[in-house]
Amino acid sequence: MTVPVLNATNVTKSLGGTPIIGGLTLSAEQGEFISVVGPSGCGKTTLLTCLSGLRNVDAGEVSFEGQKLDGPPDGMALIFQDYSRSLLPWRRNVDNVLFGMRRMTGVSAQEKRAKAMEMLAAVGLSKFETHFPWQVSGGMQQRVAIARALAARPHLLLLDEPLAAVDAQTRADIQDLLLSLARQFQKTCLLVTHDVDEAIYMADRVIVLSNRPTHVIADLQVPLPKPRDQIATRSEPEFLRLREKVLTLIRSMRTAA
Amino acid sequence: MRRLNVPAIVLGLLLLGAWELAARAGQNSFFPPFSTVLAALWANGGVIAAQIVDTLRRAAIGLAIAVAVMVPFGALIGRVRFLGDIFEPLVNMLRPIPPPAVAPIALLFAGTGDAGKIAMIVYTCAFPILIGAIDGVRANHPMLTNVGRSLRLSRLEIMAFIDLPAAMPIIMTGIRLAVAAALLVSVIAEMLLTTNGIGVYLLRSQENFRIADGLAGVVAIAVVGFLVNDLFLRLDRRLLAWHYATTGGAEGQG
Ligand SMILES: Nc1ncnc2c1ncn2[C@@H]1O[C@H](COP(=O)(O)OP(=O)(O)O)[C@@H](O)[C@H]1O
Ligand SMILES: [Mg+2]
Repeated sequence: MTVPVLNATNVTKSLGGTPIIGGLTLSAEQGEFISVVGPSGCGKTTLLTCLSGLRNVDAGEVSFEGQKLDGPPDGMALIFQDYSRSLLPWRRNVDNVLFGMRRMTGVSAQEKRAKAMEMLAAVGLSKFETHFPWQVSGGMQQRVAIARALAARPHLLLLDEPLAAVDAQTRADIQDLLLSLARQFQKTCLLVTHDVDEAIYMADRVIVLSNRPTHVIADLQVPLPKPRDQIATRSEPEFLRLREKVLTLIRSMRTAA
Repeated sequence: MRRLNVPAIVLGLLLLGAWELAARAGQNSFFPPFSTVLAALWANGGVIAAQIVDTLRRAAIGLAIAVAVMVPFGALIGRVRFLGDIFEPLVNMLRPIPPPAVAPIALLFAGTGDAGKIAMIVYTCAFPILIGAIDGVRANHPMLTNVGRSLRLSRLEIMAFIDLPAAMPIIMTGIRLAVAAALLVSVIAEMLLTTNGIGVYLLRSQENFRIADGLAGVVAIAVVGFLVNDLFLRLDRRLLAWHYATTGGAEGQG
């Protein structure tokens, strides 16, 4: 049995006296792409801050590569829901990517710069390295954030609804970009989203969360062929079956609440 | 380059014209016409310029010290709870004391030379800058700290590379208030702790009833003050281009 990349056991977390996470258990194996889907306000962002070490848990345990978390660990990168705030507007795109590598050791400044350019090229932004984030579109800003996250060569990528605020076409493009990058760089990914279709399209496994205090109510394998295709995958009978199942679960929670 | 602000120039010329006419009509030696003052400015230009250089030099040194000390200090007070608890009441108590009131203390500890005057300038500039820095870092979105923490930066790095730059728009407002105050207090300090500078020039002109010469000094200060303010305004637009672009204010790229 190999050690899971990420392991959360019976995690509980309250914010300002309100229980947000209530006994949540999940784990991610090396190379897996996991989607975590749950209704808005159920505690997805709170969960990610706990999984990334930004917040301590009240009870239970989170471990990363076998080590109990105590603050953000080396080897993990986080992509935030609000990209426009997560980039530093006073730094050019390439400098934002470089900023993600501040903690990288044993790499010269030239190598870092070369790596930053390489990552910007990988997300399709070679021509925009000297632009500032506010000079490019929202989708491009999220691409810069992705490049910054990947630049430090993390083993695990945590993504908090990264595409919630971009238009449909851009969303589809970045979904496919993320899938190909995850494959190319062999990343383990945990994507949080409230979009059921996105959750299934992206993942090897979909975890469905309950309302607050949130916990796992379903953990479903996604046996869809890869690479995924925006048109073919979404019309597979298996896709539609999973979609119906997840939507029914979420609908049942809404009536229960 | 910016466009010329024609209405403001017209207003300025009208006011100067009114001064000229009123003074000529009044024939009062305490109220010389603008043309006489201009002639005095021309005649005393060398002296005035030399004095203003001293005044500006002290203002610049005082401002620089205040920025270097108060920006990091304010960021610490704003970010570290217990430092805020200790220092904020003190800051609020000292803040309303007018600079001339500290002149005797400055005189006592720093003497009547440059040090005493610069101390008064530092004291005056300290508050707007300190308060700008405190408010600035507190206004930052908490998300920014999380970005730094998730990149495993130290608290000091987060402060230097995220908190302070993000707070710059508010800090800059404090600095620009301090710039105006620095010039003002530099002149006042000279009038109180007389040795040299444009303040002393003004005082001597008044004492000797050389009204036109004195007004020439005033005109020179006004022009210099305007230019200095304009310089900092441009600096602000340039350094904070990102801020004006993202908040939709003023010009876009600097
Ligand atoms: N500091 C806080 N104190 C109290 N409640 C909070 C705090 N932060 C977030 N919440 C609440 O916790 C719930 C979950 O928030 P969040 O994790 O952002 O949900 P999601 O990302 O799923 O939309 C929300 O209902 C929010 O109002
Ligand atoms: Mg959220």
